[in-house]
Amino acid sequence: MPFDLSWFYDIPTARAALLMVGAFVAFYWAGAVIVRPILRMFVRRAPGLNDLIGYILSCFCVFYGLLLGLIAVTAYQNVESAEQNVTREAAALSALYEDVSRYPDPHGQDLRWLIRDYTRYVIKYAWPLQQQGIIPEEGTIRAEALFDRLLDFEPKTPGDQILHAEALRQINHFLECRRLRLHSVRAGLPRAMWIVMFVGAFFNILLCWMFDTRFLTQLVLGGILAAYLGLMMYLIVDMNQPFRGEVSVSSEAFEMLFQRMLED
Amino acid sequence: MPVPPNTLSPRPGAGLSRRGALRSGAAATLAAARLLAPSLFVGCSLGIPPRAPKVRIGLLHSQTGPLAIGSTSLRDVELDAVERFNAAGGILGYSIDPRAPDPRSRTDLFPKRAATLLDEGAVALFGCWSSASRKAVLPLVEDRDSLLFYPVQYEGNESSRNVIYGGQVPNQQVLPALDWLRSGPGGERKKFFLLGSDYVYPRTTNFVVRKWLAGTDVEVVGEEYVPLDTEDFTFVVARIRESGADCVLNTVNGAGNIALHAAFAEAGIDPAKVPLVSTSVSEDDLRSMPAADVAGHLVLSSYFQTVDTPANVAWMADFRREFGEDRVFGDSMEAAWCLINLWKAAVEQAGSFATEAVRQVFAAGIGLDGPAGRMTIDPATQHATKHFRLGRVRSDRLCDVVVSSDGPLAPDPYPQVAFPGWKCDWTKGGLQRGPEVSIDG
Repeated sequence: MPFDLSWFYDIPTARAALLMVGAFVAFYWAGAVIVRPILRMFVRRAPGLNDLIGYILSCFCVFYGLLLGLIAVTAYQNVESAEQNVTREAAALSALYEDVSRYPDPHGQDLRWLIRDYTRYVIKYAWPLQQQGIIPEEGTIRAEALFDRLLDFEPKTPGDQILHAEALRQINHFLECRRLRLHSVRAGLPRAMWIVMFVGAFFNILLCWMFDTRFLTQLVLGGILAAYLGLMMYLIVDMNQPFRGEVSVSSEAFEMLFQRMLED
Repeated sequence: MPVPPNTLSPRPGAGLSRRGALRSGAAATLAAARLLAPSLFVGCSLGIPPRAPKVRIGLLHSQTGPLAIGSTSLRDVELDAVERFNAAGGILGYSIDPRAPDPRSRTDLFPKRAATLLDEGAVALFGCWSSASRKAVLPLVEDRDSLLFYPVQYEGNESSRNVIYGGQVPNQQVLPALDWLRSGPGGERKKFFLLGSDYVYPRTTNFVVRKWLAGTDVEVVGEEYVPLDTEDFTFVVARIRESGADCVLNTVNGAGNIALHAAFAEAGIDPAKVPLVSTSVSEDDLRSMPAADVAGHLVLSSYFQTVDTPANVAWMADFRREFGEDRVFGDSMEAAWCLINLWKAAVEQAGSFATEAVRQVFAAGIGLDGPAGRMTIDPATQHATKHFRLGRVRSDRLCDVVVSSDGPLAPDPYPQVAFPGWKCDWTKGGLQRGPEVSIDG
């Protein structure tokens, strides 16, 4: 994002939505009091301009609405894709845990401990960092330790060879999903999109200020439009970072896996 | 023409135009808001949960490479302890933020990782494994006046104001073991073979051992050092056989112990006749070795998982709830747990995280009841008082305690038999130097 809104994700969902809506409405109302009288001077001098503004506004709203809609869908897809990566990573880890459980000890035990250690780290340390938009670093050490230990194993029977090949396939899949998860920690809409979105919202509001209507009507109708714009913006900001905010990808997949590992 | 009266004097209320009314309304709203805001918004917040301020500590343990086999568990113990501190409200109102980079079992990486941790504001460092790694970090912690909490048994011949030593030194581990092995219950062994990894701990320990045994009826029939990453011990075992040794004092460190025990088993050497007496093998390390290779051999340690104290039972249960029921415990894990808890107690007592304030608390004497029994930090040497225990490995790779000291033994980092004239007492002037001692010569 072009500016730091990290504090925004720490606010509980309902309050954050209210804050964003309130900010947009307040901005609109402030403009209606301060800017509108200046703009109306142009409108009053040109009879019929109100109709023209209405026409431009409706055209603009179609394009802007489309843009917002597409961006919202993209943001939602980002969240969904991050969620899928997390589920796949946990599933690959679970399959790997099953595979290494059949390894002879001490390799099997070492690998089970290392997988549990990694899972625990993800839940207890990596997730809180991700929720602050920080890419956790120490998981890489644990993943490397796991990979190294797996490579240390030298299968002696054909059965062990098949099992080892499957474990190597699983760990590669796990590492791929893990990389994708880390990538999505800071993934978000590009700066240009944010600029277009906010400038578009401003133009929307500007056009509304130019309408020559009764003051109270201006406040109510414009306020409703501004509130909806704020709500849409909130939705996009909230979904922009899949691991941040109250409504975000949770570590539930890892928690369930860890619980099962502890019960084994 | 008479002037209409209303053009001269406006009607009451006619002067209040729409703009004027708006202005008045806005002014009244602002005035009311100013008046009411303090009471209206009292207690209002964005709902952002308050976060405790953080204090960083560094955990310096190899998580990959040959030393990872033992040291990863130390990291887990320390993380577990820190999580419990934080769950109970932190220390002095601060949440503890542990950072655990990976020195990859490379001595050259230990000081680099330590420097990064200190640069990032770590108030204390916990860790190092081999003496080489500790000695590599030592100049840095002394230069930055930080504190290193070292949880592993080591060779002694060192004292620093910036290190709290939590492991055993020779007079708490090897020397009592030598006396027992020479005695009747120990098998009256007379021919010792000294085997170690090629670095400072084994060489210095064996130097102390040779001095200790000089003048006794025990003969050192061989001495061998192997690189840390040695995986083939066949030639070493052959030399031990040739020497006619009835006991091998094993100071090999890390994953090499797996290969050593395997080579011993393969050679068909009976542990009852020629036991490996290991100083750097714990029950945590033993689980990585086949039971058939290790059963019957001897291990020197202050702590065994089988030690029956309420503190040990509680500690193991708490740790296993978090990390899994199959986790195994070792001597250095216990020392690491004691050290981090002692640090917490010292910080709380000092009311500060500052090195000097914490050191003052250690200088006044501080201790706790750990899983292995009472552990105190000796103010004179900043080393821990430790129990001596010698265990025999069972077929389930746990150890039965064969012999132990009556209570914790005071540390002596400079046994006079090996380092005459050397003495350390930080309460009375610090290190007193004796004549230079050449370990190799």
